[in-house]
Amino acid sequence: MKKILNSPQHYVDEMLEGLVAAHPEALRRLGDDGRVIARPGGAVKGKVGIVTGGGSGHLPVFLGYVGEGLLDACAVGNVFAGPRVDDCQAAARAADGGAGVLQLYGNYGGDRMNFDMAQEFLALEDMQVTSVRVADDVASAAPAERSRRRGVAGMVYAYKIAGARAAEGATLQEVTAAAQKAADACRSIGVALTPCVVPESGKASFAIGDCEIEFGMGIHGEPGIWRGAMKSADALADEMLEHLLPEVQLGMGSRVAVLVNSLGATPHEELYILYRRIAKVLADHGATPVMPLVGRYATSMEMAGASLTLMPLDSELERLLKAPATCPFWRV
Amino acid sequence: MHEPAPAMLDAASLHAALARWCDALEAAAPELNALDGRLGDGDLGTTLSKCAANVRELLAAPPASVESVLKACAQACARASGSSFGTLLAVGFLTAAKTVGPREALDRDALVEVLAAVQQALAQRGGAALGDKTMLDSLAAITGALRACDAGAGPQALKDAAQRAATSALDVFRQLPNRIGRARMFAERSIGLDDPGMVAVKRMALAL
Repeated sequence: MKKILNSPQHYVDEMLEGLVAAHPEALRRLGDDGRVIARPGGAVKGKVGIVTGGGSGHLPVFLGYVGEGLLDACAVGNVFAGPRVDDCQAAARAADGGAGVLQLYGNYGGDRMNFDMAQEFLALEDMQVTSVRVADDVASAAPAERSRRRGVAGMVYAYKIAGARAAEGATLQEVTAAAQKAADACRSIGVALTPCVVPESGKASFAIGDCEIEFGMGIHGEPGIWRGAMKSADALADEMLEHLLPEVQLGMGSRVAVLVNSLGATPHEELYILYRRIAKVLADHGATPVMPLVGRYATSMEMAGASLTLMPLDSELERLLKAPATCPFWRV
Repeated sequence: MHEPAPAMLDAASLHAALARWCDALEAAAPELNALDGRLGDGDLGTTLSKCAANVRELLAAPPASVESVLKACAQACARASGSSFGTLLAVGFLTAAKTVGPREALDRDALVEVLAAVQQALAQRGGAALGDKTMLDSLAAITGALRACDAGAGPQALKDAAQRAATSALDVFRQLPNRIGRARMFAERSIGLDDPGMVAVKRMALAL
């Protein structure tokens, strides 16, 4: 195993220590084990709080999106493992400015169970809590089984939309509706070229041949749609779009948010080669990309590969997407 | 008017049973880690030891009511880890607390009612169904055994029935495949192996 670390057991805690040391103005650690990341100023009075959480190993997802116009707090789990229920509760308490809290996270069984449990406990404290799960990975289940899909890079858009709505002073119900609208609108698909190494196990998360890729693979190495020989960037972009376009229904004059995301090791150069083709195909459909994002937004440590997320915009989503926001990894 | 059924479980007896429950889980940790390591990530014993350690802390205070003890146990398990089994234990305790409500003591019928509610909550939260070879199957067996006891059966008879049911559920399911969770990926390999969660329930039942 070649990874920059001191000990696998301290991987997450030492990462968090460094993160808050680098961004003291933006982030602080809370919770009895320091596994909650929140804004340093505390909950914003009267604003709906938004919390998320999940396993480590995906920066900037999840905790990297704590910031103004985005999230208020995040419960942090070990690499690829869910956060503790207790930390989900602590995150909600840190985020609660008296207007209720939205739990907004990716659709994974363990995370769902823990956030549901946290919501049940918080209800006993009379905190108003709602939940929205992002399930945008089209490779993980058929359209008829959307609720079983995994949450991947589309979470970034859900965070942005919900965070902007909360910053406008909307009610918990309105913020929840905006988050749900974004979660319903976005679709993603990824392709993995190489695996990543989970520090605790020290082994590659899956085996794949030198010239092989897996199309549709999940961000923890979950099986995809096919495994086969490497293809050209244009062929990959076309195939990604073939899977997304039937579900997003773009037409003449459509406006669409586009996120070309590196799974970690794939460089910006290759993301732009993908984006070149994607922009061309979208233009052929008469659609206009809005505020395209090209870079590392949701990763799997050193996994090579990329994902594409599309979110068709109406005027509300476009307004919220473009609203100011700032976190250590992204500024709008 | 009927005579009220004899009280089986009150705050004091629950408190005492929980102390034995903690001992049993801590003692079983190596066995449960080893079993879990064959099908999952091998941390079930560690998870349950952490739950037990957190529960033991709250036993230092005298018990106020059945409901409050169960609720505190739920929080203690929620604090233990992010792993699914710890969360499911928390779900079980919290559901039990809500089902018990203000009752000061539980008779056989109330115990059956609580276990049935717990079973339903675990199925809903965890997504498992009866027959999937999980702790739900053990709980269902225990609930059924309690239901089959005489209405007037004493605490010892109920304990015996619960313990026999937890043990025989393991025998029934040993030769069947796991149908949910990580162990499902090893469905064929899981034939002949005891489900670690079901073994944990047996250890808990034997500690009653």
